[in-house]
Amino acid sequence: MVEVELRYAYYPGCASQEMTKEANETTRLVCQRLGIALHDMPKANCCGAGLLTDYDYQLYLALNARIFAEAEAMEMDIMTICSTCLMVMSTANRDLKADPKLLEKTNEILSTAGLRYNGTINVKQLLWVLAGDYGLDNLKKKVVKPLNWIKAAPFYGCHSLRPSDALGFDDPEKPWSLDAVIAALGGEAVQYKGKTKCCGFQVDLVAPETAEKMTAVRLLDGKEKGANAFVTPCPFCHINLDNYQGLAEKRVSQKISMPVFHLSQLVGLALGLTAEEMGLSRHLVSPEKILK
Amino acid sequence: MKIKFKIRRYNPVDTEASEPYIQAYMCEVPEGMTVLEALLKIADEQDPTLSFRKSCRSAICGSCAVSINGFSKLACNTQVIPEFKKAGEMLIEPLANHTPLKDLIVDFVPFWRKMEKVSPYLTPAEGESAPAVTPEDEERVDRSQRCIMCGCCNAECNSLAIDENFIAPAALAKAWRIVGDVREGNARRRLHRLSEEHGMWDCVRCVHCTQYCPKDVAPLKAIEELRSSAMKEGITDNPGAKHVEAMRDSVERFGRLDEAAMTFKTLGFLRSLGMIPFGLRMEKHGKLPRPHIFAQIEELDEVKKIYEESERRAKEEKRELASRKKGW
Repeated sequence: MVEVELRYAYYPGCASQEMTKEANETTRLVCQRLGIALHDMPKANCCGAGLLTDYDYQLYLALNARIFAEAEAMEMDIMTICSTCLMVMSTANRDLKADPKLLEKTNEILSTAGLRYNGTINVKQLLWVLAGDYGLDNLKKKVVKPLNWIKAAPFYGCHSLRPSDALGFDDPEKPWSLDAVIAALGGEAVQYKGKTKCCGFQVDLVAPETAEKMTAVRLLDGKEKGANAFVTPCPFCHINLDNYQGLAEKRVSQKISMPVFHLSQLVGLALGLTAEEMGLSRHLVSPEKILK
Repeated sequence: MKIKFKIRRYNPVDTEASEPYIQAYMCEVPEGMTVLEALLKIADEQDPTLSFRKSCRSAICGSCAVSINGFSKLACNTQVIPEFKKAGEMLIEPLANHTPLKDLIVDFVPFWRKMEKVSPYLTPAEGESAPAVTPEDEERVDRSQRCIMCGCCNAECNSLAIDENFIAPAALAKAWRIVGDVREGNARRRLHRLSEEHGMWDCVRCVHCTQYCPKDVAPLKAIEELRSSAMKEGITDNPGAKHVEAMRDSVERFGRLDEAAMTFKTLGFLRSLGMIPFGLRMEKHGKLPRPHIFAQIEELDEVKKIYEESERRAKEEKRELASRKKGW
């Protein structure tokens, strides 16, 4: 049993409310099983996914501060399941906490909507909650179906690691959290160079050639090192590695056929939840052949 | 502490070394010794043919950037023992994304070519005098002035690794140094050029450049500044800017990202048509995003007010700057 009750203001992010719904749904199931309380944020807006930073920095800060203000009213830290949301919110939070003048200016904008942020919120993601707050030993105790069939390439992606001065949980050069969670679930984590690199998502529509080649390079890298699946804590990485794997294969004229799991799905399977409950049929590359 | 240095070597004019290979050297490393000091010691005591660039030894000249255990760093401000303890080994290689010339020395010509492409000097507008630079003006470009051209950011750039024509973070940080300067007279024209293919919109936001810059230049921040400057100038006739516009509109209307509309608005009608076969495959797995006509957040009104106020402020700032320029 977990000694302290864990509760979070839950921010699934836009992608997991639409395109990667399965990440949101399975996170809810898994957290319920683990006794982690997730409280919805019905008011929460989109963090901007980095794109609003490219439009107007001050607007980006104000919109993120609006999310934090909601969490502050709930008296809870935020847990997201999207690395990009994590990075975007954490960067805004770092800037607001570090500079009282900037916080005040942002609050002036928020005040036109009757809101205020006091700088008391922390932002985390599911991966950190499992490897940190919840704890690997507690997680291990909950495993009923060890994942001894998986050789998973841990794909951290960019935004759960960098910029480390805003994120601060894992080591961007020698990340351990996802490896440790895979091991706690009874699986094997495969080591490969691309584990800290980019999936290319941000330029999928802007520079598709770059994005698709990048996706292919990452998947082939893990495959070469013996991985029979990828696992990622980020829905955007999942979109590229799974949804767009076909486009990536076409771009490099090479078959890859690599199943890709959301972190929550892997945890769920180890907790004894079924493939159906884990929404695996929603994946474009079926993981069926490796499931046991 | 005796540490084994594994160094990637290469010498195109020596037939035996014309393919890169790893050579190991044992080196006695006292507490506090830097990687550069160790390289100098190895060259001095064991192998005078070992080649690497160096000059100031104080993280000012930017000559000694190399890859240390897979990440780009200045050899002169990286200590051996903490690095070794963390990685469990000491692997020194030439900077990634650069062509090795000999051992750890890489070809910097492509780096300078990219730098030249952004014309890294101020060009005042004809017949117009420049406004005085205030401390706030200076602060906007301050970080981008710290660049020592070491190449760490380009070596780490994930986009450059795939597309060698990408303009890459070092030149983009320099471009912001110029575009963000109130005295610059051709910012608009520069932003147009930076919006072309292989330009600033091809950055994948992997944050490696900012993470590994030894001088805290934060090239990604510079790229964001350039992009938002282009947006404010109305330079939006390209997929990158259209993507941002689609996001801005989607969040303002629904409070959330509308994936269907984002794709359509970024690609335009014709390119969206080309996505139909792929879309059908996604639909089979229930992955095709639905438009957010009814899905919106609670208290959306607050978001609209935040937009209004931010935009009012942005306009005010623009007017202020224009009147300052006029006043001179």
